[in-house]
Amino acid sequence: MNEIFSVPMNYIMVGLLIVLAIALSSVGWVVLRNRVMFMIGVRNIPRRRAQTVLIVIGLMLSTLIISTAFSIGDTVDYSITSQAYDRLHSIDEIVQVRAGDDDDEGDPFQVSSLVSAQPIPSAEAERLMGLFRAVPGVDGVVSVIRGPVPVRNARAGQTEPTVILVGVDGNAMTGFEDDIETLGGRRVSVTELADGEAYVNESAADELDIRPGDRIEVFVGGQPATLIVKDLVRDRVLTGAVFGVTQGIALDLPGALLVGGGPDEIDLVAVSNEGGVRSDLTRSKGIAAALNEPLEGTPWRAATTKKNLVEQAAEVSSFMVTFFVLLGLFAIAAGMLLIFLIFVMLAAERRVEMGMIRAVGTKRRHLIQMFMSEGMAYNVLAAAVGCALGIAVSLVMVRIMAVLFAAFDVSIKFHVTPRSLVVSYSLGVVLTFLTVVFSSWRISSLNIVAAIREISDSASKRPGLWSLSFGIAGCVVGALLMWLGWVTELAFPFGAGWSLFVVGGALVLRFAGLPARPVFTAMGLVMLFFWLLFAGNNVPGVDRLDGDIEMFFLSGVTMVIAGTFVLVYNADLMLALLTRVGGRFSRILPSIRTAVAYPMANKFRTGMTIAMISLVMFALVMMSTMNANFDRLFLSDEAEGGYEVVVTENPNNPIDGAVIAAVGGTGGGGTITGVDDVRLANNRVAEVRPKPKGTEETDWEEYGIAGPTESFIESNEVTFDIRARGLETDADVWAELARNPNAALIDSFAVITGGFGIGFHLDGIDPTKAVMDPVTVQVHDVTRPEIVREVQVIAVISLKASAIYDGLFLSPQAFDAVFPEPESSVHFVRLAEGADSGEVAKEIERSMASLGAQADSLRDLIDEQQQQSAGFLYLLQGFMAIGLFVGIAAVGVIAFRTVVERRQQIGMLRAIGYTRGAVALSFLMESAFVTLLGVVSGITLALLLAFQLVKTDDFVTGGVDSFYIPWVQILGIGGFALVASLVMTIVPSRQASSIPIAEALRYE
Amino acid sequence: MTLTTPSQPPSRNGVDLIIDARDVVKTYRTDSVEVRALRGVSMSVPRGEMVAIMGPSGCGKTTLLNCLSGLDNIDGGLILINNEDINKLSDNKRTEFRARQMGFVFQFYNLLPVLTSIENVELPLLVSGVKPAEARRQAEAALDLVHLREWGKHRPAQLSGGQRQRVTIARALVNNPAIVWGDEPTGDLDTQNANEIMDLIQQFNRQHNQTFVIVTHAPEVAARCHRIVYMKDGQIVREEAVEASRA
Repeated sequence: MNEIFSVPMNYIMVGLLIVLAIALSSVGWVVLRNRVMFMIGVRNIPRRRAQTVLIVIGLMLSTLIISTAFSIGDTVDYSITSQAYDRLHSIDEIVQVRAGDDDDEGDPFQVSSLVSAQPIPSAEAERLMGLFRAVPGVDGVVSVIRGPVPVRNARAGQTEPTVILVGVDGNAMTGFEDDIETLGGRRVSVTELADGEAYVNESAADELDIRPGDRIEVFVGGQPATLIVKDLVRDRVLTGAVFGVTQGIALDLPGALLVGGGPDEIDLVAVSNEGGVRSDLTRSKGIAAALNEPLEGTPWRAATTKKNLVEQAAEVSSFMVTFFVLLGLFAIAAGMLLIFLIFVMLAAERRVEMGMIRAVGTKRRHLIQMFMSEGMAYNVLAAAVGCALGIAVSLVMVRIMAVLFAAFDVSIKFHVTPRSLVVSYSLGVVLTFLTVVFSSWRISSLNIVAAIREISDSASKRPGLWSLSFGIAGCVVGALLMWLGWVTELAFPFGAGWSLFVVGGALVLRFAGLPARPVFTAMGLVMLFFWLLFAGNNVPGVDRLDGDIEMFFLSGVTMVIAGTFVLVYNADLMLALLTRVGGRFSRILPSIRTAVAYPMANKFRTGMTIAMISLVMFALVMMSTMNANFDRLFLSDEAEGGYEVVVTENPNNPIDGAVIAAVGGTGGGGTITGVDDVRLANNRVAEVRPKPKGTEETDWEEYGIAGPTESFIESNEVTFDIRARGLETDADVWAELARNPNAALIDSFAVITGGFGIGFHLDGIDPTKAVMDPVTVQVHDVTRPEIVREVQVIAVISLKASAIYDGLFLSPQAFDAVFPEPESSVHFVRLAEGADSGEVAKEIERSMASLGAQADSLRDLIDEQQQQSAGFLYLLQGFMAIGLFVGIAAVGVIAFRTVVERRQQIGMLRAIGYTRGAVALSFLMESAFVTLLGVVSGITLALLLAFQLVKTDDFVTGGVDSFYIPWVQILGIGGFALVASLVMTIVPSRQASSIPIAEALRYE
Repeated sequence: MTLTTPSQPPSRNGVDLIIDARDVVKTYRTDSVEVRALRGVSMSVPRGEMVAIMGPSGCGKTTLLNCLSGLDNIDGGLILINNEDINKLSDNKRTEFRARQMGFVFQFYNLLPVLTSIENVELPLLVSGVKPAEARRQAEAALDLVHLREWGKHRPAQLSGGQRQRVTIARALVNNPAIVWGDEPTGDLDTQNANEIMDLIQQFNRQHNQTFVIVTHAPEVAARCHRIVYMKDGQIVREEAVEASRA
């Protein structure tokens, strides 16, 4: 992982180390210049050990989250990179039929590209390979054929529909000597194979329970060929492993040609650069360019395969870190609030001491130095603990990720780089340092007399000039940001500007003398309404503003701040209500009264804690709710498009739909009522691009192109989210596709914005509108570049159905014209009412085992996809839930602090008749009350925002019919927060109830 | 002010003693130090009497008050309050006993800063299980007696020192306790406010026959009690009855 937020990690590390050095130097300066202040600060640390532990926990949480995010990024980077190196091994470049205009595109890891659309005649390949060997830096060139075949292991009774059969030229293995190794690490060669012998790779052996010496049957064109397994070898590209399908069989080139029965052609040429498996990738581009010189004018091209994969690994890991950091921002923000709260409470505890220190002649800056020294002492320790715990947390998460990623054939192995540790530690220390300095500056302002006499500092409660200054600054900066957002059409500055403007306005009104409650209540409500309207696209004009995941954070933070102000400034209403309710339980009423009165009297402290808990709850509930509603889109029958089973044929063994129907008529018990086919173009040669405007060139891009048959067009029930003007119904769209030879349909994913830039994106269709103007695109087959067909996209397949029906669907005429020889077909099977799609799929697969047909229940496929995405989202939620510990720690810090702070009052309560139990209950209820406010606030705000978002066209065109709330998850998360907070309060509440009365009353 | 020396302690026979303490011993122990705060103190108080406890700092006045009121445990001796041996009561029973029988007035008021005056006053009633509406009615009446009814919705921080102490008195008296304990009740007040507070205490003592035990440094406060008990080094060294006309 080399970049995050598009900034090189090395720059980030150096920058952070510089800031860290400045932070440490400033403490060093205090040591040298004001040793006394430093000593006062540091000697406070061991005074209360339990409190010190809590402070360290509080300070480390931000670092923990950062360190977890970076460790996961490193792990993903390492795992994918390792897998790329391991699979490709000596291969650096691959020469095969071209795909896409970008030289960096193209890799050997797409299942759909397993059949070469344009093989290289052997004689031509020999000529080219001779030229390739002469390219400086190349140390090996080998010709390869490969193709998917079904394989049966008769001994074990196991059949696998898709195994990659690879044939390599054993006489040209120079440079690839290590690529075929037994599981024991012994280097072997295909030249050692006798006739009828083969190597089977580890994945195929696992899947089919194959052992050396086993006889296996390979089916090509439905005809079996028997091979004897000489040995088991490691999963490599030259032994058949690619992404998606790892099972493979390796043979010598002539043997493979014999089994395949094909013409004397090869599918690809693998090139190895000097330098071994981890050769210098920077040379790859130059070597590929040299390889491409003799390929000029041919359909083949050399791609920098290994370099591409390693770079993709870095991109994926950078994306993962960015994503985790962005989602972790809620917890990091809560962590910073906690640090601030901790220092404010420390200052409250030491108010008398601070007053005394000021009284003897020190200045405000000395107090800042004192707190800064103490804070940094905690900080350097806490950040180290946070880093270590972050690694521990990521170890757990990586185990879960390993299970989730296995479905995508990615083997996850934990890895963390020293650079990430340095960055995490430095970032943690720097963030905490900045928060500590700000906190110290705030708390160092005190009235000396009031502090010494322990009376309230009434002067500080009146909004002073700072209120006016900040207010005006907020309004001005807010207005500028709004303008900037409007001009640049970016939602983030606009939304942030509006919120800042409202806060600024409230501060100005406070300075003008208006009471706090109406001002801050109005401020909160205005912000809340704005964000809810904004999210629902109900603010005129703002729907043109672009926003991405950063809006999730901004809306969350501002809504939580707004909600907290409304809550805290209107809590007395709650007190009255609770008193009334509590009146029914007169025995606990006194405990309720004090439990509510204390937090409501200390608005700042309570507000901070509510905000911390609310922030994290907001993020978790939003994620759960949006995910649950998204999942439900795919639960409806619409996602299946009118079919129950899909049969994917092996390109080497084409199947007629009628054969599948016959299965239904016999083995399926007559449950199959129809089979409709969709033909697929070879992915490596099927390309699409928007129609160039004038002389402007647009790049061709690989994309799945499908040709539905007439029977599919007539019978399917696939629906559309967006239709061209004049096409009123889904049936109109299908009728138009049947009638108009230049019509085409496209899936939703190609149209949706914010798709992280993965895959082909079609501009010109607004995914938030149900009506579109047709968009013209061009399609072609790279092996016949002279045929370019223009088609008009007339509708966008519904998001619900796009998981199954993805790609560009051409009219039958257009598909035939451009792709007369499709790679394969998929067969969609309709079943009789009540038939078990899973069972029918199994029956089809059994019946067609020798053809390598793969049949799946569409419902099972959709459920599997949803489970995978849900699993990943649960992982993210788990990561975000770390933030809950921030809120819980805050509750604990406050509870411990209040026992000290209220010692005398507890004595008085005990004197007038509070039993020990009543005191303990009061403490527990106080924590529960604050936590509950945070939990309820977070849940409410998240549900309101989610409701608004789900109802908009941004979520799905036309919005959803009903809003689903995942109550079990939400209540589970809220319940956990509540119970954990209560557990944190048990010790301090027991301490409070055990305080000796007489001693407490004497306590000052 | 004229003080008279009592010829002998009040006889137990025929006298309704609300407090009867015998040979009370209290020792504080820290890591290496042992402080004998009360060294066999005996003291009796008839119902309705106002007793002042005086003595130099550290002589054990507050400790005696804490022990007599059940706020602190004793290491030896016997304390009967209304004929109940409070040291034999469990912590909960003793707490309930305090809630029903006693009121407290302290130097620094010890009002809960987060509650309003009326809420502070009604708290002992709620603790005793009185219904909220009834508690509110009685609290208003108590505030009325200390002339603070209109200040009921104010928090302690919004009141003067004298007002706060009057709220404390209202809280101490709201459940009509048999005994009110005062630890320097006028210690934080100016002369005028101190006088007003003592007027109130005397008024309640006369009208309701409530017993007051007041720890004080102020001779003028002690002089308004019926009897003054002098302590030194953890022992009662002298008692004086105050001239009736003054008390």
